[in-house]
Amino acid sequence: MPLFEDLIENVIQGDEATVKELIHQALKNNVPAKEILHDGLIKAMNIVGEKFKKCEFYVPDVLWAAQAMKAGIEMIRPFFQKSEVAPLAKVIIGTVEGDIHEIGKNLVAMMVEANGFDVIDLGVDVPPEKFVGSVKAHGAKICMMSALLTTTMPTMKKIIEALKQAGLEGKVKTMVGGAPVTKQFAIEIGADGYSPDAPGAVDLAKKWMAG
Amino acid sequence: MSMTSGFRSQCIPTYRVLTEDQIKEIHSATLEVLEKIGVRILDDTGLQLLKDAGCRVKNENIIQIPNGLVEESIHSAPSCIKIYNRKGNEVMQLGGNNVYFGLGTDLIYTYDLKTGELRPSRLQDVVNAARTGDYLEEIDFVASFALAHDVQTNLMYVECFKASLENSIKPIFFTAAGQEDLSVILEMAATVAGDYDRLREKPFLIHYAEPTSPLSHSKSAVRKLFLCADKGVPINYTPALLAGATGPVTLAGAITVANAEALSGIVLHQLRAKGAPIISGFVATTMDMLTSTAVYAGPELRLTHSACTDLYHYYGLPMWGTAGASDAHCFDQQAAMEAAFSILMGILEGANLIHDVGYLGQGLIGSPATIVMGSEIIGYVKRIRRGFDISRERIGMEVIQQVGPGGNFLLTEQTRRLHRQEHWRPKFMNRDNPDMWKEKGNKTYGERVTQKAIEILESHRPEPLPDPIRGKLDEIIKKARESLAEIKFVV
Repeated sequence: MPLFEDLIENVIQGDEATVKELIHQALKNNVPAKEILHDGLIKAMNIVGEKFKKCEFYVPDVLWAAQAMKAGIEMIRPFFQKSEVAPLAKVIIGTVEGDIHEIGKNLVAMMVEANGFDVIDLGVDVPPEKFVGSVKAHGAKICMMSALLTTTMPTMKKIIEALKQAGLEGKVKTMVGGAPVTKQFAIEIGADGYSPDAPGAVDLAKKWMAG
Repeated sequence: MSMTSGFRSQCIPTYRVLTEDQIKEIHSATLEVLEKIGVRILDDTGLQLLKDAGCRVKNENIIQIPNGLVEESIHSAPSCIKIYNRKGNEVMQLGGNNVYFGLGTDLIYTYDLKTGELRPSRLQDVVNAARTGDYLEEIDFVASFALAHDVQTNLMYVECFKASLENSIKPIFFTAAGQEDLSVILEMAATVAGDYDRLREKPFLIHYAEPTSPLSHSKSAVRKLFLCADKGVPINYTPALLAGATGPVTLAGAITVANAEALSGIVLHQLRAKGAPIISGFVATTMDMLTSTAVYAGPELRLTHSACTDLYHYYGLPMWGTAGASDAHCFDQQAAMEAAFSILMGILEGANLIHDVGYLGQGLIGSPATIVMGSEIIGYVKRIRRGFDISRERIGMEVIQQVGPGGNFLLTEQTRRLHRQEHWRPKFMNRDNPDMWKEKGNKTYGERVTQKAIEILESHRPEPLPDPIRGKLDEIIKKARESLAEIKFVV
């Protein structure tokens, strides 16, 4: 269908205005929101992901596509409540207390969001209790924590422990990341997952939701 | 800084070693060598030509060249030579500060890609080099690279040229044993171009011949020089001198002697055919005083090389160069270090026709993986050379303001539009984080580049020659197998 081809192409190119216009037309013509999401937006982001893996797309290209995708999702979001579309899985993300580095966290947030998740970004310097409170309040399925400073890495362990104490073990998956964070560290602090980069975080989140 | 102040917003890093006064000092010393000491010409036709032009014969074949004739020849040689690819598209403008990179010739050993074994080179290695060079965008011209031991000796160069021709569309830098096999090669080239006139008009090959240090022009070299002059085929006529052995031990003396050899070549060439295309210059390296080997990647070579580039920029003549080569016998850290230093300096000084990318073992060993590494170093250094633009538009005050303190530049339209231009990205170098690197198999740079070289040979298919031309080339080779079989090439 040319509509979806057009939509996919414009998401890939990061042309937000055209994406909005196309979705507007589609909704007017009673194209189901579910189809717009799955056959248009998500398909486009999968292509973007492929291009990134093949080094055809760089980070800025992916982010522009992600923004166009996000704008599209916002337009069809009202239909989610009408149970036409299953609600998107919620993800809590933030840079841990004591750390104000956010570029990496933002990158992950945008890419995760662009792949069909509902991302609640808590920002930077986020204390453990705020992570716990937000996971509870939103019924989040995934909690992502970022740290750039080696001195703030131990805070991640505190957050994971606080989530357990709040009885959320098994209900929310924890994922850690940031330049000094390693797989070994993730295992040591009892995190459910770790990714060295943003696309890896997307892959892991998708895997969890599929499983 | 306003537009009207003559402010140039593009900064381009360059490098030179000689001041103008120093260039003139070397030039005048060179002229003195040619006029007072002279050069040895072992070819009678060449000797006669110089005599007729007013040169003085000192004793039988030593000839002294007056300053004026040297200056005249420098003047009559073209300052820019256009080189085409096999399909007739212009791809190199040899002159000014334009820098082009390519392969070298005649490597008797090959560092085997798959086994890491050092073995005699074969015709397949010539094919492999051409394909590798054809594939890599940073490689501007190809050459035999290897010397094929598995073909009839007198046809080595002819077979090598044919293999280069069939496996790359890029210009071919090539050697020959003598004028006889050179004639066969030129006939093949003319066949591809259409005829000799079209070959002259759009040359896609450069012959490489050399005088012999110190201060000698062999029969064979002069004949090859003249044949190219007659056909209007670009020739690279450049000596390789060993300081302390075939030339003075001092770098200044070595440069002066090597330059006298190169300039006397230009005189011979321009007397034979005024205005014919010649690429000049020299390599003046050291003989290692412990091992007696010819050093291909020492610091002295870089100094004399830079001096040569400065001199030929001053003369306004296209110059040859060497970089991306190493004295190491295998593709190792030394190979990388020497390749990187030499390519960096070659590009910054602005030498025009830089050969030898991928050379190992002091000009004895070829390594396709080293060519792949060289191509990445070239890309890296060319990014340095390109410099950056400091115009108001590129400073982008509005963007800095719009993002502001604590914001992020990743999402700006400016980042999206310009990141590919402003930031160079390596193809094989590691920039992964440690876990990702482990996940990809803990590979060293050498392993990744070797893998890439293998992939190129397995998957890259160069554009083939048209069938009718292949047929004609086969005919030429068939005839040459007989005509060259019994030839004894003169020295």
